[in-house]
Amino acid sequence: MTNPAVAVHGLTKIFPVPFHRQSIVAVKDLNLRIDPGEVYGLLGPNGSGKSTTLKIILGLVSPTRGRTEIFGGDSRLVESREAVGFLPENPYFQKFLTGEETLHFFGRLCGLRGAALKNRVNELLRLVRLDRARNRRLGTYSKGMLQRIGLAQALIHDPRLVVLDEPTAGVDPAGSREIRDLILNLKERGITVLLSSHLLAQAQEICDRVGILADGVLVREGHLQELIAIENQTELVVADASDELVRDIESLLSRSNAKLIERRKSTTTLERLFLEATKNDEGTTKQK
Amino acid sequence: MTNRENASTLQQFDASTRAKRYRALSLSRILTITRNTLIELTRLKVFYVLLVFALLLIGSSIFMAQFSFQQEFQILKDVSLGAISIFTSLLAIVATARLLPQDMEDRIVYTILAKPVPRFDYVVGKIAGVLLLLAISTLVMGAAFLIVLYMREQAALHATMRQLSGAPPDQLADALRAVRSSAFDADLFPGIAIIYLKACLLAALTLFVSTFATSTIFTVVVMAFIYFIGHLQATAREYWLQEHGNALITRVFLAVVTLLFPDLQAFNLVDDIVAGTAISLAVFAKTAVLGIFYTTIYTLLAAFVFYGKEL
Repeated sequence: MTNPAVAVHGLTKIFPVPFHRQSIVAVKDLNLRIDPGEVYGLLGPNGSGKSTTLKIILGLVSPTRGRTEIFGGDSRLVESREAVGFLPENPYFQKFLTGEETLHFFGRLCGLRGAALKNRVNELLRLVRLDRARNRRLGTYSKGMLQRIGLAQALIHDPRLVVLDEPTAGVDPAGSREIRDLILNLKERGITVLLSSHLLAQAQEICDRVGILADGVLVREGHLQELIAIENQTELVVADASDELVRDIESLLSRSNAKLIERRKSTTTLERLFLEATKNDEGTTKQK
Repeated sequence: MTNRENASTLQQFDASTRAKRYRALSLSRILTITRNTLIELTRLKVFYVLLVFALLLIGSSIFMAQFSFQQEFQILKDVSLGAISIFTSLLAIVATARLLPQDMEDRIVYTILAKPVPRFDYVVGKIAGVLLLLAISTLVMGAAFLIVLYMREQAALHATMRQLSGAPPDQLADALRAVRSSAFDADLFPGIAIIYLKACLLAALTLFVSTFATSTIFTVVVMAFIYFIGHLQATAREYWLQEHGNALITRVFLAVVTLLFPDLQAFNLVDDIVAGTAISLAVFAKTAVLGIFYTTIYTLLAAFVFYGKEL
């Protein structure tokens, strides 16, 4: 039996408040299992304990009770982080470094050197579509570009698990779409992705399974389609149907026990509309 | 680029590009953090402001030609070594106080420590970056001081030769020897080295304070107190020993106080050098070992506290 990519057992984190008797329970008795290759979304409102959970998994914060494992190893051990890449919420990198220098710095931290490091940096800059901006200082990067260089640094040591804390927070729809595509690419390659978000529509598009946290407690968990399916309802989306055919279907429905709840024209999403409207002549979305 | 094209780019990653296996203590990893910290610190405006002020102070000594050459050299050494000492100490405190809090505020520490980087390597890399910056600053200021001293020495030698142009050669040689001996002194080098070690000690102590301080300002204020107490504690210790004798409890108490507030006056060899008192090898070695000991202890304490810190 393979080890789960992430296993969380009975995790509780209590933050004491200095000079006060009460304390804050950030996470309460949390149990999670994320299998290799999954895209798992940890959802919840602000302050629900998502970031704390991620930090405990990454060994940045110690649990009050319980334990966390990465691919079977204790996540508090530094060597367990060889398998992990992390993109924090609103990452801030040193503005005086260029995109290329930033990746070189993080690559060297992970033990990469020479031609291997150079090749890796080139590949990642191509992957996150920043090869043209490689020599620009990060101080001149847009929010979306910073997120993408952040994702590149998370991938620099070829991790098997990527942890993303609000990866699209503050990014415009075009940048957000690019990050989403990159996450789907990681999934295609078999990399496990654990992301936290409160942007539900986006999580719905990319996650295999989700867990919903509220006040530090896991209130729902499961496969996305199972969680959001409405058991007694069925949707039919029909193209090129004549008015007569639609009337026939409605009449068939009225003769049965089934009830027609809604009839409407299919619409595109606001995001798709935005992306089409802001595309330039070369077919790419405009950037700052 | 489509998803599929991106995916094919990813598939080019193979075992040859994989990072080396994790090692608990890696010199190259520490050097990477050191280099990055040094670049970060040299971007600080305060570094250049302090350096320029120190160089101006040292350079202004050129305009003290109205004194006799002995007085002039004495003032030049006093002012210049004093400036190097104060500015390296200030730089050590100001540059180090912001290192960890800034990285935490900017979340850079998360991206670094979420990689296979032990906290010990991170702390050691950070302090090494500061020590390197202090070494560069001390070298620049020391070089400026020696250049000014050399220029003034040459000016004094020419003036002496002009004044004694008709004097016997023995008298002229004695006069020139007197100028040279009062200008350059070999003790200047150990003196500058001890100033550097004092700054290293202050940097390590500042790093330790910053691991549990709530803000950069708090760290700087605490360090300002420690700086003044450190310069006064030798006098206070002597007074305490006179008053309370040499009992064990007194000595333990004083040892704890000495650890918390290092005797910074012990690093003040400048006064002796300016007065022309020779610095013995024993005094230099003792002071240097004390500086290295304190720097190491405070760095280890900082690493220990940072190890258990919730980020």
